[in-house]
Amino acid sequence: MTNFKISRRALLRLALGGGIIAGGAVVYKQTESVGFDKWARWMLRGQAARFAPASRVALAAVPSYDADVLGAIRALWRDANAPDLQNANVVVKPNLVDYITERPCYTMPQVTAALLQFLREEVRVKSVVVAEGTTFRRDPHALLIQTGYRDMLARQRVAFVDLNYDDLVPIPLRGGYAKMDKLFMARTVAQADALISVPKLKTHHWTRISGSIKNLFGIVPGVKYGFPKNTLHIQGIDAFLAELVDSLPTPKRFALVDGIVGLQGDGPLFGTPVASGALVGGGDFLAVDATCARLMGLDPAAMEILVFMAWAGLGQIDANRIELRGVGLDTLRKNYEPAPSA
Amino acid sequence: MSFVEPTAAVMIALEQDAFAVDLVRRARAFLKQLQRADGGWGIAAPDDESGWMTAWAVWALAQSDDDVAQRGVQWLLNHSGLRVTDPKEIERVKQVLKIDATITGWPWLPGDAAWIFPTALALLALNAMRIHEHPREQEAIQYLLDRAIPTGGWNIGNPFMVTGDLPPTVENTALALLALDAYAIENEITRRARAWLAQENFTPTAFEWAWRAWYWTRSKSQVSDLKASEEYANRALVALKELQRADGSFDGNPFTTAIAAMTLDV
Repeated sequence: MTNFKISRRALLRLALGGGIIAGGAVVYKQTESVGFDKWARWMLRGQAARFAPASRVALAAVPSYDADVLGAIRALWRDANAPDLQNANVVVKPNLVDYITERPCYTMPQVTAALLQFLREEVRVKSVVVAEGTTFRRDPHALLIQTGYRDMLARQRVAFVDLNYDDLVPIPLRGGYAKMDKLFMARTVAQADALISVPKLKTHHWTRISGSIKNLFGIVPGVKYGFPKNTLHIQGIDAFLAELVDSLPTPKRFALVDGIVGLQGDGPLFGTPVASGALVGGGDFLAVDATCARLMGLDPAAMEILVFMAWAGLGQIDANRIELRGVGLDTLRKNYEPAPSA
Repeated sequence: MSFVEPTAAVMIALEQDAFAVDLVRRARAFLKQLQRADGGWGIAAPDDESGWMTAWAVWALAQSDDDVAQRGVQWLLNHSGLRVTDPKEIERVKQVLKIDATITGWPWLPGDAAWIFPTALALLALNAMRIHEHPREQEAIQYLLDRAIPTGGWNIGNPFMVTGDLPPTVENTALALLALDAYAIENEITRRARAWLAQENFTPTAFEWAWRAWYWTRSKSQVSDLKASEEYANRALVALKELQRADGSFDGNPFTTAIAAMTLDV
């Protein structure tokens, strides 16, 4: 009979190898629904983002819509190290979700007007349009009148583009988060040099926060995806928004958040006003939204949508990885009532 | 880019007009060319997925191209909105949205929930194909009645969201009423919806007036108060014509212009 002996070192190696194989099997099983390769790509990019330079976000104090909004935007643009948009074709995308009396659910025209003036007179963009693809209504014209946008746009001599009915451009989706390989997008956005997302500071009953990222739902054509574009919610709101952020075809982007009067509670429509007196700006949409959450006294680490995208390396939400400029966050912070769980 | 919806709507509007024979012929050719292998239609040539536009195309081709339209009918009957079956989820949806999630209609796209507009449109398309007793139609009628806003009219889908009542919207209310009229459904829900549509406390845009004009000009045979119906129709038509742009369009939007065109042949 042969006396089979195994050394302690070999035993340790065997145990280590077995552990690695078992761990790999667990990870493979856990990631089966999305695919290990995708999961690994997202995870590695998320880890790499930890070593990337901090994202810069700027805050400005603006006590009311009659105050110097233009001056505040000028300071934000500089403090946030905004992209150079000279001679660029720019799409400004406010949030015009709906008009409901005494519910400040949309981006006020004073903020958009000041931004348009700044872009044309100081940044000297080549062209600028205001664009929106409303979700609850098929036609935006009544909304434009009710919200004051029609008069503002006429005064500014800036065109409005209804993204719900624009020509369709198929955009390849590179992220793999949603179960779609392409998305039809409005040509105005797909062919622009830059997109400026101008959301309202507010809570949201599905995503907890409605910021610069959720505002991107409006760039998807309703005529294709329906009203309120629920087909994309079915993909998983987090997954679909990650897809939009990752695959956005505009080379340059910036977010400017209207937090002069925000909305708390049952956003995006039925919440109540909070005078936050703030504008927030930055090029990293995730960092801007995480800062907005903190501005509302909410924890971005408790918001799945932000946590998932940060994990996947689509931006920063860790306060240590966000460089704040301008007015202090603590000065502007107001505790918002969170959205009810739906 | 040419789209199915305005093409089909204009075709329905102009089908009987002698001067538009050539236009209608080209519109027919466009729609037939865009029919997909599965029998449905996307929204325009680049769209490679059949969806809610199928109902528009079936309605537009119902009189002229029965075989093509029949394939579209099969696509419609093979697709429905999501139906909730889990009792806990049914109860949750009841609380959050105030709807009966066991009843469904038609979605915008396969895999989605049902919504008012595509459901009402599918009913009108099936009605144009002289199909009236299919169980899907009966369920779709129940769907529309279940989703009505208690004070009158329809929003895009549910009448309530989390903490607030949703307001009626003109396109969903007008189209749902047209569909229910087509199936001779008359009850307190349709009367309240009609009362809402007759109000004039809205922001006057071409879109708002076009949908009202379409409904009131088509509803004459359904409404008991014919005189009032004609008065609403005339008011809407006058207001609509005042909003027509110099280029002939309404708001420069082919979709709104197509709905306005629905009223031009009366």
